[in-house]
Amino acid sequence: MTYRPSRIQILLGTRKGTYVVEGNARRTSWKVGRPAHVGEEVYHVIADPRHPGSLYAAVNNGFWGPAVHRSRDGGRTWKEVATPLLPRTRNRPNPMEASAPAPKPVANLWHIEPGHPSEPKTLYLGADPHLLFRSPDLGASWDPIDSINEHPARKDWAPGAGGACLHTILVDPRDPKRMYIGLSAVGTFRTENGGDSWVPTNRGVLAPFLPDKHPETGQCVHHVAPDARDSDTFYRQDHGGMYVSHDRMDHWIRIGRPLGDDFGFAVASPPAAPGRAYFVRLNGRDRTTGTGYFQVQEWNDDRKRWRALVRPNAFPGTFGVHREGISTDNLDPPGIYVGTTTGQLFVSPNAGKSWQQIPFAFPGIHSVAVANPASR
Amino acid sequence: MSPAVEVRLDGWLRQFGAPSRESVDADSIDHLIDALEERYPRLKFKLRDETGHLRRYVRVFLDGKDVSATTGVSTPLSDVRVVDILHSIAGG
Repeated sequence: MTYRPSRIQILLGTRKGTYVVEGNARRTSWKVGRPAHVGEEVYHVIADPRHPGSLYAAVNNGFWGPAVHRSRDGGRTWKEVATPLLPRTRNRPNPMEASAPAPKPVANLWHIEPGHPSEPKTLYLGADPHLLFRSPDLGASWDPIDSINEHPARKDWAPGAGGACLHTILVDPRDPKRMYIGLSAVGTFRTENGGDSWVPTNRGVLAPFLPDKHPETGQCVHHVAPDARDSDTFYRQDHGGMYVSHDRMDHWIRIGRPLGDDFGFAVASPPAAPGRAYFVRLNGRDRTTGTGYFQVQEWNDDRKRWRALVRPNAFPGTFGVHREGISTDNLDPPGIYVGTTTGQLFVSPNAGKSWQQIPFAFPGIHSVAVANPASR
Repeated sequence: MSPAVEVRLDGWLRQFGAPSRESVDADSIDHLIDALEERYPRLKFKLRDETGHLRRYVRVFLDGKDVSATTGVSTPLSDVRVVDILHSIAGG
């Protein structure tokens, strides 16, 4: 019997497992379910809206390696599916003779992205070291995308502090062949031909840690969120600040200056409120909110204005938020969901007017996503 | 024909279908793991990564001697009676 979720679910990937938190219709009451993948690092959990009830988790076991897991019943049960791997070789090169470096194994899995609605069995997966894969069969097998995995400039691609992660994958809702990816610390790229070739898209983004402050690549993009109204518009949280692009990432405009230090990792933009993007500003030096309380900043791209969404001191403390740490639902008004590196989960059911902290101490949260209830 | 060695497997490997003990004919650690993976396919890539090396926190002992960080998967099994495959003390 096909599982069809009737309740909204918050999906958490944490340092010690996967959590599913179910809410009521008003999004004011939440129940924390039994964790899965207990003790394992889960970098990302996501719902596949093309198949209600299907969830995917990027599980990175410190002992036994990475694995993709799938649930077909809204997180009640999980099963390991295929995990992308580089072609295995038994002929390890002699380091004294090798002309090319030995292949590195797939390290951590960072992001799973359902494909375009017209390709209902396609999944994408980003991994470390700077790897992109496509599955044609909902995770039963994976094909490496050589245009990235064998890119001639790879030798110059540096990792970020979290590793050589390919962490952002966006598919244009108008055209499955147009995609965008983000890699640390390489930047963003766009393809117009389904991944046959890619162009770097980092013009205007500062690389404060490089001698050349505006290189073609080398920026440390942290995350990018698409606008729901205009598929040419994107919001970007980068090591070098907060940005918007209105031209498919050809040019980026820095918007974060009014916030002072506009460092951060996470950004989200809600389907029900296009033109808005939510950022969690952090201090670049210590990667925490640093103000003494939890805060979310809203960028209004129509009015070109910032607004703080959380009453100061409503939630005192020092918080970190990872790149997948903020998400929205598809309801109106939009719900906003933020998970912290110290295990707090903050929820607003009304676009930031009011907030509650879920009364549960989670392990440090890597990722937050929402499984919207299936439409009837 | 290689002599059979007794393999004792980490309890955590049960989640991948592995037993606690197994008898395997193999002349090296590599071939021993090949044989285990053939019998228990879900073990594939759990002990070795796809380049063929032992994963960082997998430890292999031959009659009590840890070879993980030295000769690793290419270690021959001549005159070895018991192979222990364990995970190391790590994490937090």
